[in-house]
Amino acid sequence: MNKHKFIQERRPQWKRFEEFLQNSSRRSLSKLEAEQITEFSQLLREVSHDLATIRSRGWGHDLISYLNDLVARGHNLFYGAPPTNIAGFYRYVSIDFPRLFRANIGYFLTACLLFFLPLGISWYVVQNNPSLATRVIPEEMMTRFDQMYSDQKDTESENAKEDETESEEEFGGSSFGDERATMAGFYINNNVGIALKCFALGILLGIGTVYTLLFNGIFLGAVSGYVISQGHGERFLSFVISHGSFELTAIAVAGGAGLMLGNALIHPGQRTRFQSLQVRGLEAVQIAGGAAVMLVVAALIEAFWSPSAVSPMLKYIVGSVLWLIVFLYLAFAGLQSDQSSLPVSQLEPSEKSGERHSA
Amino acid sequence: MATVTSELEQTQNSAVYQEEVYSNQPQKLSLEMQIETPENVILTYQLAGPAQRYLAYLIDLMIRMMALFGLWIFVTPMLSIVLPGTAIGLLLVLMFLNTWGYYTISEGFFKGQSIGKHFCGIRVIREGGYPITFWPAVLRNLVRSADSILFYGIGITTMLLTRRFQRLGDLAAGTVVIQERSLKLPRKPVILDKIKPLDKNEIGSFLPRDEVLSLIDEFIGRRHVLTYERGHALAGILAQNLAERLHYTGDEKKVTHYPMAFLAAVYKTFSFSQEEEEQEVVSEYLKQAGFGEFRDE
Repeated sequence: MNKHKFIQERRPQWKRFEEFLQNSSRRSLSKLEAEQITEFSQLLREVSHDLATIRSRGWGHDLISYLNDLVARGHNLFYGAPPTNIAGFYRYVSIDFPRLFRANIGYFLTACLLFFLPLGISWYVVQNNPSLATRVIPEEMMTRFDQMYSDQKDTESENAKEDETESEEEFGGSSFGDERATMAGFYINNNVGIALKCFALGILLGIGTVYTLLFNGIFLGAVSGYVISQGHGERFLSFVISHGSFELTAIAVAGGAGLMLGNALIHPGQRTRFQSLQVRGLEAVQIAGGAAVMLVVAALIEAFWSPSAVSPMLKYIVGSVLWLIVFLYLAFAGLQSDQSSLPVSQLEPSEKSGERHSA
Repeated sequence: MATVTSELEQTQNSAVYQEEVYSNQPQKLSLEMQIETPENVILTYQLAGPAQRYLAYLIDLMIRMMALFGLWIFVTPMLSIVLPGTAIGLLLVLMFLNTWGYYTISEGFFKGQSIGKHFCGIRVIREGGYPITFWPAVLRNLVRSADSILFYGIGITTMLLTRRFQRLGDLAAGTVVIQERSLKLPRKPVILDKIKPLDKNEIGSFLPRDEVLSLIDEFIGRRHVLTYERGHALAGILAQNLAERLHYTGDEKKVTHYPMAFLAAVYKTFSFSQEEEEQEVVSEYLKQAGFGEFRDE
């Protein structure tokens, strides 16, 4: 067959395919009629074949690049995943995240060790020797802690009723909730950002994650020890216990995900390092995403519930319940759903093309 | 036995073919990335280089800054009259989304293009040529914070060390950034009405390959892009070579002074004569099979 003839013969199909691509570029394929999809897939195969033919016969660079781009776009459209939606988010929070978390619990436990152990040690040390706190906590921050908790302690010691009025005045009357919204924004921006960074730095062979975990553990431990050693124990603990459930756990979850990234590079197993990074990375990021969601919840609790003027007893009770909820959620959520493969395995690059091929 | 060996040969051939396609890649320093589709066709993508991506980054940065500035100037004061605290909280949340969500949302939901990438005509896709989905987009852009250490020093270094210009985020998410090309309809092959084919007596039996003819076809099609002298200078090399191989005995001046015309003549001679010959062969065959008279009528 001659090049001229070939082009003449095939050109209408190419035009038709091009039209298809232009029409459906804004919508996804799922909105097309069944017949159209059949035609589209047939055209995709035909144009692919034309491309192979033209390549093998060496019929010109322009023609090859035109058909190449045509097939590439069709390929992109045809094999595209369905869009993410709200239902997907619900499924992720209720099933996928906790299941992925449990499948990789070893990393979480390691992160816990790296976070809670230094936290406990520095807490113990600083509480028994408060002067050491200056080595970890910047001075301005220490004076702020002193003011924050001692002010409240003074008012508390007078009586509960005055405490309420005082705190309302302090926050500008009825705008208590409004002021708290600022803090909610601050906690989201700050804490979630730190956790996500803690995860992402795991890609530097895990070093960044380990550093962040150790640093935050030591810092938070020192703050706790210092504040309690100054005699603000009850105020501090009743403030921290509620959001601590979500916050501290989420830090360890994000840290665990970061360690997964690092370990994927250090111990790739049967895969190449990059393959290993891609497969484990996709799991790890879904775990880190869960940590981010947990931290948003923690931020809301910390902003609106933790500082509220209810009795410490009630805060302890609510706080304990929240800890229990976090534990139950991570341990059991999604357990009863079908035991088919985790969502990640479908996304594995090597398997994906194979699956698509057989379909 | 024969079928077994032929099958074996076939598998070996296909293995060699695969080997060629993939083993070529590590040595080549090129902007091309090849992937094999489920239809067993090799697709070529043009990778986006660091400079192009940096430009897109700057555009995105400008947009993000402007968005935050706009919020700070207009939205916050308006809300502040009623609820000042909420306004600041909202601004902080939006700042968070701006830092961590801008790329994730744009790339995850708008087919791998942020606004800057759209302007620069580049797009993120997965290594297999598939569009990027939500989670790879998240991973790619969370790892950005590791890439951006030392003013993206880490990202740029890994980009230059990998053959597909991937920063750490790309490596983790299995993505590449490619250049989008607009579809260009191939021109109809040149029809050369005024050019006479070469005289059959003046050339030997050499048949140029299809690739050569296509090259001439495309070259002639683009001749307006070049100046007259430059076009002739470029065509001269091929014309000389072809004249030698064809054992061209005609007018020497045609080759040296008007190489473009000579190439056109070569093209006309072979691309059309082949077709005629094919037809001749077919009609000959039909005649022998007894369809000759039937077909002639």
